[in-house]
Amino acid sequence: MTIDNSTESIHTVEAVTKKKGPAAWVAYVFENKYIGLAAFAVALLMPFISASTYSLNIFTTAAIFVVLAAGLNIVVGYCGLLDLGYIAFLAVGAYTAGILSKAFELPVLFTLPAVVVMCVLAGLIIGAPTLRLRSDYLAIVTLGFGEITRITAQNLTITGGPQGIYNIPSFLVIGNIDFQTPVLFYYLTVVIVAGLVLAAARLGKSRLGRAWKFVKEDEDAAEAMGIHTYKVKLLAYIFGAIWGGFGGMLFASHLTAISPPSFLFLQSALVLMAVVLGGMGNMKGVVLGAVAISLLPELLRDFSEYRYLLFGVLLVIVMVFRPQGLWPPRGAEGERTKAQRESAAFENGLTK
Amino acid sequence: MEQILTDMPQVIWDGLFVGSFYALIALGYSMVYGIIKLLNFAHGDIYMVGAFIGYALLTALGGSFQMMGLFSLIVVMMISMLLTGTIGVVVEKLAYRPLRGAPRLAVLITAVGASFSLEYGVAAIAGSKPRGFPVRLDGETLFMLGARVTVPQIILMLIAGVLMFALDRYIRGTSTGRAMRSISLDMKGSLLMGVNVNSVISRTFFIGSALAGAAGVMAGAYYGNISFLMGFIIGLKAFTAAVIGGIGNIRGAMLGGLVLGLVEAFGSEIVGGQWRDAFAFAVLILFLTLRPTGILGERVTERV
Amino acid sequence: MNFGKRTLGVLGVATAVLLATSACSGGLLGGGDSGDSDSGPIKIGMIVPTSGSSAPTGASMSNGAQMAVDEINAAGGILDGRMLELQIADGACDAQQAVASANKLVSSGVSISVGGYCSGATLPTLPIFDKAGVPMIIPAANSQDLVNEKLKSVFLINGTGLQQSAAALDFVKKQGYKAVALVDDNTSYSKDITTETEKQIKADGASTVVLNTSVNPGESDYSSVVRDINGSGADLVYWTGYYQEGGLIIDQLRKAGYTGDIMVADGSADPTLAEIAGAAAEGVYATMTPTPNTIDGAEGWIADYKKAFGDDPKPYSTQSYDAVRLAAAAFEAAGNTNTDDVIKALEGIKDFKAFSGPLSFTKDHTLASGGFVILVMKDADFQLFDNLQ
Repeated sequence: MTIDNSTESIHTVEAVTKKKGPAAWVAYVFENKYIGLAAFAVALLMPFISASTYSLNIFTTAAIFVVLAAGLNIVVGYCGLLDLGYIAFLAVGAYTAGILSKAFELPVLFTLPAVVVMCVLAGLIIGAPTLRLRSDYLAIVTLGFGEITRITAQNLTITGGPQGIYNIPSFLVIGNIDFQTPVLFYYLTVVIVAGLVLAAARLGKSRLGRAWKFVKEDEDAAEAMGIHTYKVKLLAYIFGAIWGGFGGMLFASHLTAISPPSFLFLQSALVLMAVVLGGMGNMKGVVLGAVAISLLPELLRDFSEYRYLLFGVLLVIVMVFRPQGLWPPRGAEGERTKAQRESAAFENGLTK
Repeated sequence: MEQILTDMPQVIWDGLFVGSFYALIALGYSMVYGIIKLLNFAHGDIYMVGAFIGYALLTALGGSFQMMGLFSLIVVMMISMLLTGTIGVVVEKLAYRPLRGAPRLAVLITAVGASFSLEYGVAAIAGSKPRGFPVRLDGETLFMLGARVTVPQIILMLIAGVLMFALDRYIRGTSTGRAMRSISLDMKGSLLMGVNVNSVISRTFFIGSALAGAAGVMAGAYYGNISFLMGFIIGLKAFTAAVIGGIGNIRGAMLGGLVLGLVEAFGSEIVGGQWRDAFAFAVLILFLTLRPTGILGERVTERV
Repeated sequence: MNFGKRTLGVLGVATAVLLATSACSGGLLGGGDSGDSDSGPIKIGMIVPTSGSSAPTGASMSNGAQMAVDEINAAGGILDGRMLELQIADGACDAQQAVASANKLVSSGVSISVGGYCSGATLPTLPIFDKAGVPMIIPAANSQDLVNEKLKSVFLINGTGLQQSAAALDFVKKQGYKAVALVDDNTSYSKDITTETEKQIKADGASTVVLNTSVNPGESDYSSVVRDINGSGADLVYWTGYYQEGGLIIDQLRKAGYTGDIMVADGSADPTLAEIAGAAAEGVYATMTPTPNTIDGAEGWIADYKKAFGDDPKPYSTQSYDAVRLAAAAFEAAGNTNTDDVIKALEGIKDFKAFSGPLSFTKDHTLASGGFVILVMKDADFQLFDNLQ
């Protein structure tokens, strides 16, 4: 770490405020504190534009994807832990909700406490032994856990084996109102998702959130400043798991059927993609990234064969040219200039 | 239980055979990690690319060439090694080199991106349909110590053994090998002592990727089926093998590959084949939490 | 913060405008989906995998369906000149994708669905079509679970897992196998057949099931299951998964010295099996519904297909072709496209001329006769071995 970095970050913040013209307008709009409210309003108004079963289905899927991205953002964006098996928590949430609601003929919403408990447990089981590991080991171990979760779901009878679980009961029925109807379910999802996104954003600004950011920037320094880094990391992991579980519950209810192929590594990678593109740590960016990632394939159906290639290339390009994401959180370490990167490379013993 | 005992020699042989593939791929993982502490997720996909290059070459050369069987296969394997080696170097130049000195998270994400690009790039070019490999190794079956062993298996294990032996000699006996070892100990120091670090790193990628490419062609010729996702799981397994042996340690990677092959073979014999992958990953997690330095990994313990 | 007020102001106006307009558009207040209409083209929906590893099968299915649509339209359409319009949507063999596609088809107002390849992806689409009043003629997917849903709008024109296992049992008895090993690939369709076959063989008692196991799809090395089979002393191995793994297992079984017979289910009855397994695939039996190659007098059809799509018809091209023709016949018989009338018409179908033989439905809406035959691999292609009559 050179001192340059801190002056650089101040510099970038100033640069933003000094910009004029359309760029400044865009910056104003997106840094506006009502932007979240505006996004919520847009989400609420979407069904008024198009209310076909198809578009409602896509909107609901996008909303669920936003929860996942928000949850992974806690782990990757706030705390800097690369989790490549995040979809495992979606699976745990979805299967818990599906199994319980089917077995006891409960509305899916009532399984919520069990979903949260199971996800906390899963977070503990995966996190506790692995979070002492170096970051790159952590990445591959989480990947391994993700695969183990899917294989287990595929081989157990309680999870329905390869068929999975189908005919999952309605999400919630109050009197004559069945929340499983697409419009109501969409609204319910949007409200839950909005709450979770807001909560995640709040968490990021809390005392714990600041500790996460410290751990992300420099773990040793954080430890020296009296932060119990292991505990803090584990908390990030558990919060991520809970968000994933909520996503899973909504997912199970939305599809009314779940099966192991929905929990492939590919899905973990897509959620990661949303977080990275949106700007790790910036909740607004992540929400935008998640909406983009889940809606783009619907718009670009004809390119479906090329879309993962495009995602892969984009990941590399974004990381090479803008390692902090397309829309990094405000006050994050500024973009490294070429000169800085070279000086850092020299620090590590490498020159061009 | 009785079944297991009578099957024992066969289980051991099957495990060793699969393990030698893991070992070949694990070497590339381990070398790259040992030198620049980079977890090259795209490495398993280089194995897949190798298989597809072999497929393309053999198809292009047509029937007459195929008659020469093993010989043609070895020539094709050499060419594939050159090409996959080059691809490895290009990936390093485009994706990893610009990020030296960048935060670890960024490098890891780049590696995931590189892996995706290779997989779906091949899918876009060659199609997502699995393909049958044009040349098949067929041969006599021998019985050794109660195990059924085929000649192609022996040939492939010999090739793998020769490649690994050559690599071991290269690392220990040549000046480039010495440069690699010195970079892995102290990169800045090596630079100051006049080692051309970038070129040595390129060479490391070349060798590792070439070995993975060789494994890809061998797997295609033996199993007869290739698909664009074939590198994903085996890449994870190879990483597991590298960790078991002690990552960064060349001989450890070879040992780790064989151990993982055996562990898997016994695991699936006991709990059933459909749990094989879960079993391998469980071993990985156990090793990482209990003994992250692996079996032969003392040398790398002081790394921060 | 004047910007905030402006944003809110804009939002307020936008809300008002949207609420006003949506009342008379496709929005929430306007009623949502557009339903069936009594004139214009009749839309036929089809969910098949057009991406992912099963995409080639999806293409051969949509080609078959398209061919039937073209033929019917060329002959002047149905119901007094209404044309058919085929809408393909991707199912990708993934529940999530298939649900999205089903919703898409429902939204675009299809009158009938003729798709469904992977059972796991077809299952969750059933309630969506059913609720929307879209009858389903499922050409390929044949898991017993589809039948167990007991939806009156679902019709299966591929033999079910139950019927396929019955065919397998017939063959086992005919050939006099004593010890059968069942291997599936842990997908819902495949496991369905092994479970049923085991049940039926046990009930029959003439032979025994010595092994019933699963493998993970997508691997290369199947030495563990090969050891199990060799250790079990089976004289017939019945593989019920898809051809990629099937080819590998057959090859490795032969290499490991297995000398008994091998039979595969319809998911593996594809010429690619021979490409993967090489010489080991020769003499492999398959339980399969008749394909154009095995039907006498289908040469003309095959030539037409080749001319239209530049490719040989594959398994399920015929079923998809028949599904569309069956749908057209049902519309004609019903005289309209109303859900209940079409379902009644389908239930009333008697001896419809299909590739798999005369077709009528049981009360479960499955084929009255499964139509499974036994094929055998000869010179890298499947040929008719025994029609089990």
